[in-house]
Order: sequence, then structure tokens, then C-alpha cells
Amino acid sequence: MEILFGFVGKDYALTASDNTAARSIVVQKRGEDKSRILSKHTLLSYNGEAGDTCQFSDYIAANIKLYEIKNGVALSTAACTKFTRRELANSLRSRNAYQVNLLISGSDPKTGVPSLFWLDHLASANKVNYTAHGYASYFILSTMDLYWHENLTLEEGLGLVKKCLKELKIRFIGNLPDFFIKVVDKNGIREIKL
Amino acid sequence: MALVNLNDVLSFTGNEEDSAFDDAKSSCMNFETSLNFKLPTFSIQNLSDVSDIATAPVDFLKQQMSNENNSRIAIKKGTTTLAFVFQGGVIIAVDSRATGGAYIADGGVKKVIEINPYLLGTMAGGAADCMYWERELGRRCRLYEFREKERITVSAASKLLCNIVYGYKGMGLSMGTMVTGWDKTGPGLYYVDSDGQRLKSDLFSVGSGSTYAYGVLDSLYDYNMSVEDAIELGTRAIYHAGHRDAYSGNTVNVYHMKKTGWEFIYNKDINELHYKYAAEAKPSTLS
Amino acid sequence: MSIMSYNGGAIVAMKGKNCVAIASDRRFGVQALTLTHDFQKVFEINDKIYIGLGGLATDVQTLSETFRYRVNMYNLKEEREIQPKTFAHLVSSTLYEKRFGPYYCEPVIAGLEKDGSPFICSTDLIGCTTFPNDFVVTGTAEQQLYGMCESLWEPNLEPEDLFEIISQALLNAVDRDAVSGWGAIVHVITEDKVITRTLRGRMD
Repeated sequence: MEILFGFVGKDYALTASDNTAARSIVVQKRGEDKSRILSKHTLLSYNGEAGDTCQFSDYIAANIKLYEIKNGVALSTAACTKFTRRELANSLRSRNAYQVNLLISGSDPKTGVPSLFWLDHLASANKVNYTAHGYASYFILSTMDLYWHENLTLEEGLGLVKKCLKELKIRFIGNLPDFFIKVVDKNGIREIKL
Repeated sequence: MALVNLNDVLSFTGNEEDSAFDDAKSSCMNFETSLNFKLPTFSIQNLSDVSDIATAPVDFLKQQMSNENNSRIAIKKGTTTLAFVFQGGVIIAVDSRATGGAYIADGGVKKVIEINPYLLGTMAGGAADCMYWERELGRRCRLYEFREKERITVSAASKLLCNIVYGYKGMGLSMGTMVTGWDKTGPGLYYVDSDGQRLKSDLFSVGSGSTYAYGVLDSLYDYNMSVEDAIELGTRAIYHAGHRDAYSGNTVNVYHMKKTGWEFIYNKDINELHYKYAAEAKPSTLS
Repeated sequence: MSIMSYNGGAIVAMKGKNCVAIASDRRFGVQALTLTHDFQKVFEINDKIYIGLGGLATDVQTLSETFRYRVNMYNLKEEREIQPKTFAHLVSSTLYEKRFGPYYCEPVIAGLEKDGSPFICSTDLIGCTTFPNDFVVTGTAEQQLYGMCESLWEPNLEPEDLFEIISQALLNAVDRDAVSGWGAIVHVITEDKVITRTLRGRMD
């Protein structure tokens, strides 16, 4: 029932994630930020099995930070994705694999070129322009097919987010009230309120 | 034809001097009023002029199975169908893919069933179930016309279908259908499925690709849109479903339901639509 | 639904006259949902060998990385390029390593041998190799591909004719498979160059 989607625009990558932590039929918390900062220009957003999600993303975030400290240079978004995918793929062959779905969004600190990567719980990785995880993908991928283009300004991008959230509000039973919208661009990572 | 023979039976008057007959005549109103069949108050259409299944089953089956229409009876599971009411009537748009597992059995299925000139049904789920019961619905609607001397309403027709399939609940029927038409109350659109659920609304989409179709319909639908825009919206929604859903695709068929009955608009290749839309500018997100 | 058809895909390789071709579709999907149409399933090993990996996408990516690592190690140790036959055995033993918890992937290998003769090979998911002398296919559209290849393929095709035949075989096969398609990519390996072309296919 969790919602996670994102897209790249003209000079930014944007992700939107619901902020509800739920277990069974109970909402445990509103306002949960389901993302981790991997570096100044790379953000990891996640959803999936409770426990696995934060354990795995903490592990990834810590190791990527360690690499940065050791080598004095941050991994690129693509390199973060390669590392994350390999870790998830290795865990897939273990007795209890991490059941997490991820989006890794980033922006090249020098050129400002944005990128977005989609990873599912089986550790299939894809570089994408726009995408979604879980049930939301059935509802809003066509909306994004209809509206997305590579020169979306931030204003137009937020317009697209509104259209997607509106569609989910109309058609999706898991009607989630509030979302974290995070933008990564040349200046780093920031949250945007609609 | 059958009715002509029936008239002979009904025109039997019996022995005038037989008082028992008079008794029977006075007590049996049906026998008396059945004489009205001799003077029908509405005309029976010429069989060869129409292709509706109620009056010309042979023509209908020919049409369903002809190579010209690329139509064939097939098993199918994945589908995208949609219909919506707007100021100009009802638009019905469907894809044409039939699959058995991942195998594409047919890319030219007719998923809109022409029940009669004022009623259309769409197919999702089991093709045989939809085809059989919507044809049966056509027959019952025709009988209703004979009995009541007026066209059945969409509401009544859809309820007829709903009641039939509800009687078979739990026995494995699989159908999700939209019954659309134009009756004395105006345009009508009902959703009927094999659970026995029946809903009335202005907008429905049914099948494995329905969520993708909704994603487009919900953001562009407007009751006051023009007929051309409505046809384009139906086409576009089916295209997006065909693009994303593996079990929908090939071509889109569009129908327009008007006061004068339904009109078949066109059949378009979804792949050609893809490259056409890809070359066009995207609509703005700021409205 | 089988794990081998979870993501969908179709790959084919064919022998020609002093050339060999390998082609794949480009869909990445999760069952019925199509997510991307630029997924890489065919990987360059060197300028004479390409490998196509059909099956579960995560294992396609894991194996492509494993093969790159192992071929690089081979090159460094042996100080020479790997030969197609040797590479096929490397693939086979890599897969058999995971005999009791396999990679859900069936590779297809296309290459040119030292003498310029074409080489094709396919293996099952635990590394049983086959070396036919006409064509090999794998993926969810396997049956359709067999039909197309049986009717279109002929011996001693020149590179351009081979390109045409493999393209037609693939495009028409995936049009009868719901979970393959959305474009295709073809590589024709010849003595002096590799011709790579992406094809427009049905996008539904």
C-alpha cells in the first residue's frame, strides 16, 4: 500500500514518498521520512518490509559514507546504484533476503545532470526517466507517460506530482494523506512542500 | 417468421356457438389481447438490413468470424475496455488483444458486442461468457420490445444481464462488462460483472489495463468536451493501457452512442498511435 | 507464473557465412507491467564474442558482471583473448557452480572463432551446453522464435542478409508474445567489425 514514485526534470531529480508507517491495519506514525542521504547529491528512497527497509538503507548509507571518508571523494549516483544492487543481489541468495524497493535519485555535482534509478526487491536495476513502485505504478505510470518530457521545469514537475497524487486519491484504495517530496539538484537535496 | 406462424394459432376463434368458448374468451384476457399481434403498432425490421444479433444471428456470427474484421472467437484474459458519458452521448473504446497465458492468440478481437442498434456491451474476462450472455441479453431485449411495444431502457437491460449472471454466481462465469445505450431517459452506462455487481456511473474502465486507462481518463475527462475530443480521449486512454499492460494492445476500436443509436468510429493500430504520440508535444502539467 | 517469465524477454543467435548474429528484445517488465524499453540483455565479451542472457533480470545483471570479471581475469592471467569455445565452458561452469540454487538465466552465446567460422551456443540454467549449427533461441518467446527461425534461416547467409533474417525472426516472434518486445537490438559480428542496430518494434 506504500507509495513511491519519481522522475527527472530539466535539471533536477524528484521523488515523492508517502510518510505513513503502518503495520497490519494500524497506522503507527505519520511523518516518517522513508529516505536516506547517501551523499550531498544522492538520495536513497525506500519502501517494503518493515525492519528490512531501514536496516538495509542504513547499511548502504553507512558504507557509502565510509567510502567517501576513506577516499575523499563521493560515489556518483550510478556507482551508488551499482553498489546497492550488488549488495541486494547477494542478500537475495541468503536465507532471509532484504525485501526492499528502492529509488536512487541524484544530480552530478559538476554538470548538474540529474539521474534516477529504480531497484526492486529482486535487485533488478534500471536507469529511468520516470517510474514508480508498488501499486502506485499501475495508476500513475500512464499519467507520467502522458505528461512527462525531459525539459520539465520544477514548477511543471510539481504540477505532475499533483496530477499523480490526485489520480491516486481518486482511484487507489490505500488513500494516503501526506507525502515527502524531495528534490536533488546541483545545490544538493531539499524537501519541497506542495 | 415465427410470429407469422404464431398469428395463425392466435387467430383461431373456435366454434361461435360454443358457450364454453365464450366463457374462455371472457375469462382469458391474454387470448383476447393477443389479437393485437394481428395489427402490430411498431414495424419489425427487415432481417437483411441490420446486423444486430437479436434479429439476425447468422449475420452477426458471420461478422464475428469473418477474416475481413480480423475477428475470431478466442479465449482471453487481459483486456482494457472503457466507456464514459459526456454531453454528446457515450464513448466506448476497447483494445483487441486475446491472450492464452503469455501467448498472443489474436490481435484483432472485437470486444464491443452490438446487442442491437441502441445497445452495446463490452467484453472483459471470459470471451465465451460475454459473447453468449450478451447475445442472450439481445434476445431478451427483443422479446421485451414485442411484449411492451417500446425499446427497453439501458437500466432494465443491464439489470436483466445482472440477474442472469447472478443466478450462476459461484459456478465459474467470468465477465466484466459495460452495458451502454440510449433510451427514453437519454444516454446510459452500467457496469455489470459476474459477481452480480451492477453500477451506474459516468465513467468506467474494466480489465487488466483499466488502471492505466483511468490514469489518463481521470486527468483529461470533462463532461462538456466535444465529440472529437471525447473520441480522442478514449483512443488515447486505450493506447496508454496497451503500451504499459502486456496483456492489452494491438488495435483500438471506438464506438459513439448517440440519440440515433451507436456508430462505429474507427479501428486504429496502437503501435502507430505510439509513434504518432511520441512525435507530438506533451500537454502542460500546469492546468 | 514461472520465475523464468517474471520479467519477460526473447533472445536469438544465428550462424551466417563467416559471420554470426545475436539479437534481443528490449523490454523490462514485472509480469504484465512494462517498466522500461531499454533494458540490456546482450553483452559484449570482446569484439568477437557476445552473450545474450534471457530469464530473471536480476540474474541477467549479476551474471553479466560475473562474466565480465571472469573474462578480465582470464585475459590478465593468459595474456590473450578468450576463444568462444572456452568462454562457453566458462559460462557453463559458472552456472553449474550454483547447481542447487541456480541463477534463473539461460544464456545464448554468439562468436567468431580464430579461423573466422561462426560459433553459437546455448545452455540451460545450470550449464548444460548445446552447439547447434543453425540457430539458438531463449526466453519467453522461445517457441515463436523456433517457428520463425525454422522457416526463415538458411545456410551461408551474408552479414546483411543475416541481419534481415534475424530481425524479421525476432520482431515477428515477439509480436506473438505478450511479455517480450517493445523494440529490439541486433549485433552482427563479422571478421572486421560488429554491426549494431536498434530496431523499432511494436510498443504494445
